Amino acid sequence: MKPPAFEYAAPASVAEAVALLDERGFDAKVLAGGQSLMALLNMRLARPELLVDIARVPGLDSIEISGGCLGVGAMVRQRSLEFFPGLADSHPLLLAGLRHVAHPQNRNQGTVCGSLAHADPAAELPALAVAAGAELVIEGPDGKRSESAEDFFITYLTTTLEPAELLVEARFPLLPEGSGWSVQEVTRRHGDFALAGAVVTMRIADARVADPHVVAFGVGAVPLRCTAAEQALAGAEPGPAAWKEAGALVSEAVEDPLDDVHASASQRRSVAGVMASRAMEEAAARA
Amino acid sequence: MSSRIPNSLEELPVSEIRWIGKGVERLEDPSLVTGRTEFIDNVVLPGMLHCAILRSTYAHARIVSIDSSAAEEMEGVYAVITGRDAARLTNPATTAPEGWGAYCLAHEKTRFVGEPMVAVAATSRYLAEDALELIIVEYEELPVVANAQAALAADAALLFEEHGSNVMLQRKFTWGEVDSAFDQADLVVSDDYRWNRLGANPMETFGCVVDWNPADDMLTCRGSFQSQSYMGLARSLVLGLPSNQVRMISHPHGGSFGGKGGFRGVDICALLSKAASGRPVKWIEDRLEYLLAGAGQSWDREYTLQLALKKDGTVTGLRVKLLDDMGGTAEAFGAVSAAKPLAAFTGCYAIQAAEYDLTLVATNKVPQSPYRGMGPPPHNWVLEQTMDKAARELGLDPAEIRRRNYIPADAFPYTIASGNEYDSGNYEAALDALLDMADYQKLCAERDSAQAEGRLLGLGLVNTIEPGVFDWNAYAIVGLESTGVPEGITVAIDVMGRITARLGFSLEGQGQYTLVAQVLADYFAVTPADVSIVYQDSLSAPPHFGPGGSRLGVAITGAALGAAHLLERKLARVAAVLLQCGPDDVELMDGFLRVRAMPEAKMHFAEVAGAMLARSDLLPEDIDPQPQATYVWTAPGRTPADEQGRAKSYLTAANACHLVKVEVDPDTGTVDILGYWLVDDCGTRLNPVTVEGQTMGGIAQGVGAALLEEYVYDESAQPLTSSFMDYLLPSVYEVPRVEKKALTTPSPFTPLGAKGCGEGAMHTTPAAIMCAINDALSPLGLSAREVPASPRRLWKLLHENAD
Amino acid sequence: MGERKISRVTVEVTVNGRRQSAELEPRVTLADFLRVELGLTGTHLGCEHGVCGACTVLLDGRAVRSCIMLAVQATGHEVTTIEALANEGELHPLQQAFVDKHGLQCGFCTPGFIMAAAELLERDPDPSEQALLETLGGQVCRCTGYEAIIESVRDAAEKLRQRGVGPLGLLAAALEKKAAPSGNGGGE
Ligand code: FES
Ligand code: FES
Repeated sequence: MKPPAFEYAAPASVAEAVALLDERGFDAKVLAGGQSLMALLNMRLARPELLVDIARVPGLDSIEISGGCLGVGAMVRQRSLEFFPGLADSHPLLLAGLRHVAHPQNRNQGTVCGSLAHADPAAELPALAVAAGAELVIEGPDGKRSESAEDFFITYLTTTLEPAELLVEARFPLLPEGSGWSVQEVTRRHGDFALAGAVVTMRIADARVADPHVVAFGVGAVPLRCTAAEQALAGAEPGPAAWKEAGALVSEAVEDPLDDVHASASQRRSVAGVMASRAMEEAAARA
Repeated sequence: MSSRIPNSLEELPVSEIRWIGKGVERLEDPSLVTGRTEFIDNVVLPGMLHCAILRSTYAHARIVSIDSSAAEEMEGVYAVITGRDAARLTNPATTAPEGWGAYCLAHEKTRFVGEPMVAVAATSRYLAEDALELIIVEYEELPVVANAQAALAADAALLFEEHGSNVMLQRKFTWGEVDSAFDQADLVVSDDYRWNRLGANPMETFGCVVDWNPADDMLTCRGSFQSQSYMGLARSLVLGLPSNQVRMISHPHGGSFGGKGGFRGVDICALLSKAASGRPVKWIEDRLEYLLAGAGQSWDREYTLQLALKKDGTVTGLRVKLLDDMGGTAEAFGAVSAAKPLAAFTGCYAIQAAEYDLTLVATNKVPQSPYRGMGPPPHNWVLEQTMDKAARELGLDPAEIRRRNYIPADAFPYTIASGNEYDSGNYEAALDALLDMADYQKLCAERDSAQAEGRLLGLGLVNTIEPGVFDWNAYAIVGLESTGVPEGITVAIDVMGRITARLGFSLEGQGQYTLVAQVLADYFAVTPADVSIVYQDSLSAPPHFGPGGSRLGVAITGAALGAAHLLERKLARVAAVLLQCGPDDVELMDGFLRVRAMPEAKMHFAEVAGAMLARSDLLPEDIDPQPQATYVWTAPGRTPADEQGRAKSYLTAANACHLVKVEVDPDTGTVDILGYWLVDDCGTRLNPVTVEGQTMGGIAQGVGAALLEEYVYDESAQPLTSSFMDYLLPSVYEVPRVEKKALTTPSPFTPLGAKGCGEGAMHTTPAAIMCAINDALSPLGLSAREVPASPRRLWKLLHENAD
Repeated sequence: MGERKISRVTVEVTVNGRRQSAELEPRVTLADFLRVELGLTGTHLGCEHGVCGACTVLLDGRAVRSCIMLAVQATGHEVTTIEALANEGELHPLQQAFVDKHGLQCGFCTPGFIMAAAELLERDPDPSEQALLETLGGQVCRCTGYEAIIESVRDAAEKLRQRGVGPLGLLAAALEKKAAPSGNGGGE
């Protein structure tokens, strides 16, 4: 289990990184925290010719709150965000979600943006990004662009990132005042990828659900934003009946879920709904 | 002075026992916690090359051609070998049953995914793996035998054409009047079960460094060998070398649990070393290799179990039918796992009539290896779960049906239907202690009210036997007939009066060196820190086997006591000369050789030893002047197997009673362990904390077995669980905290009354958890009969008609 | 398959208080660098894909998996391994606690557990059950069943609290002592 040979570059700026990526195209791969990539390299399942290590680019490790968003730079370790002062108040959803990501020993090294760019549909961060309505800031040879997390994920391990593009920042809008939130998932063991999970945020206004966001993960090729469930929830009276109905809609929205040794397709579909219902209940209680 | 080995603590020559039976700190720990222990991967030898192995991607295929020329030409590559070299230079592996072995590299055809095909030795592992990518193997696919049922099909492809069938062994053993027990039964309870493949997965995989010296044809193998002498003998057969030209040097292991095989790796490295003019070659099996095709896959079983009962719950007959999928060959001795249940076939129960209908088949999966418990854990599960089913049908409490069938405490030694003799025990006492400790009545009430609310909460109450101190005759039915497993030790006193013990096994975690130090410290009235334990290689050590079959603690205690006793006799003779009295007038007490009739006339053993070492000229000619003695201990009274496989095999029978509380989440299929209690009895506890460590480790592995661990193959025998992301070991979150209590019923047959206990709770935990799950499911009329009870399986069971 | 150029990089890293530099292929993992290049074999490899934690070391005080990290990624950083813990034959309180509480059997996982626990106790001298589980949950032990490991870390935490020092603070003090110039202190 030793990685194949590759070249290594540690650019000192985003522009330099992008230029390297542009030059080498599909043969180059960005290395950030490496928690997924390095395992694939050790198994020789990935074979880049060049690794572009962005850890030496100054400024990519900043976390800041501005313009109603929490901005997380490309090299921000998951653990650094977890320990970011005041995160429990400023973005409790992210904090709760991060605690489900693997183990501290992985989060110490793994980056938030790296997980988003890796786009494993069973991972928590992509789902959190979609649920929170994150904007992803991407830099390429033609300059910067920004894209919503919802549009960013295309399919299994695939995003809209071009080979020469770098995800430089993820901007998570702060939850609106009075929001409740919840992350629920079923795993074989604590810290494993989810068999199925759900992220829910909502407010309660005049004893009615307002502004619900419902995202299921681990059940399809990308995090699944469940608009039907959101529509059913919006304006509904909070309570088991509403959660059950909206949960059922989540299950219905799941198309072609993964069927593997850990869970069957029908189980994933069903459990996604259960997780969503449980998340709704918890989110409502927190709202 | 007594002329036999002390059999109880009272017989030791000290006025106070200070170390045995106490939770003594382990000698091995300081080196381990500082990272200084020399595990095999730390070994670097001059000129050492690194081996990497190209493995079959097909489950069953003919090898059409292998082109390794590009690899051979790669810079840094010193040797490349294929099955052709293996066939030219070696013999196929010896196996049990006989005749189901293969060469260390696949020759002409491959029988499982992951089978070694080509091996490379290069100057680094990185380069060796690079070289593998340059090798091209052309295969011609053969029809695949993907599971045991498929192996039995009339038109099944054959793994070994020469046998004309895939059946490695098929036999029915009948002990007692089984048919009449079933004919006369008031009730017959029966069920089918499936236990899926799982395995040892020690945190350190197997590794070795081998050099085959072309000058003197001496083969030196360093590695994490569980039993170096047996491993060495097998190498000499495979490689065609005289046994005294194979020197095995075992390094401490990062765990074993039966899963430290790697026979092929040693042979491959030997051939590579030969091809590279004798340079040492290192192979460290990586985790992917281990999971794909290592010595870590065991027990792939389909069971049918039947109980014949009287109305009062007395079990009068037991029938067990087992179909076990052994994989592509019998090279890793996995078949012993199907034989070992004979040592405790009827569990804790006095069932006089039993039948074992056994079929072992070859399929295109990885060959089975031993794993902790070596076969009884699945057997115990199917027996215990069927006992629960019978209790349910008879309206008896699980505790009650067990109580009614126990071998009574006054019936020991007791010979069970399958022929083994249990040494001692008090099963009812263990049960009562457990029910009391856990407040069983209250738990039952809690369970009943939870179930009334519709919650799937259940209790599992299970008891099992752990056979201890194995003998080969236990495996006679699969072709390993032999009696006697030796364990030897040499105890020496140096000129400074310090004690050194030399033995033939390396550490793997159970703390046996500490145990030896405890025994010798008490015998000679010193401290364990005054004793050094020195490991010796296979050509230097006294006869030995090492750990396995829950034997080493008992065996090495016997060996240490025996050697200490012989040494005492020797010292006494010398002391008699020096103190001018008859040898029989001298005895050892509290470290002094003293004249029995005149205790103030005494010499410290160090002085006596010093005289032997320095002034042998003063001693009578017939006295051996070395202050050292060797003793080889072998379990007494073992008998060869009769035609029905019956033998006195395992020397001891420890027992344990476990109680588990679980809750099943019907929406997700997951299981939470909410409480765990156990009482066990393994006789005298020589080092209670290490015994407890074995118990807890066994529980963790049992949790893995019941809920998490499984090697999954698809319908073309391709493995689907080849990383730790898919083969799931229990973590701290999954293993429950356990409330424990120990009872002590000493063994009358072992030194100091200890029983084998190393495999521990692995015998019991899977059954206990499964029984608890089934208790939880019983209000729904469902039963879980497949291990592991994964969320996927439980969810399917609970929602079968859902879509 | 095409010829691969074997390129080299310079790795410069402080390991256990000592500056190390080496020319390596970029693909060499931090674990292999420590074990093979530096001979620090107390860091073990159990899976090489980031799951088991046997290879856990500290990188600037944070526990990381050295098997899924390149040596070159550690350039400019400080790495601490199990070898740094004992001080002149005296076991570190974490090591002593594992011995005292029987937190090990084969000991293969132990260096990883100790390094992970060192990070935890440095940050949180009195960790809750929850915090303990979170840290230990990222390390796999096949032998002990974990109970004794939890007790070991608890015990170490208590001993360290009594001494009023964190596990790394203790280490830093020892390293400073080792690094201090010797032979010219006589006149003080
Ligand atoms: S060896 Fe690094 S996590 Fe297992
Ligand atoms: S002590 Fe052996 S793996 Fe933990």
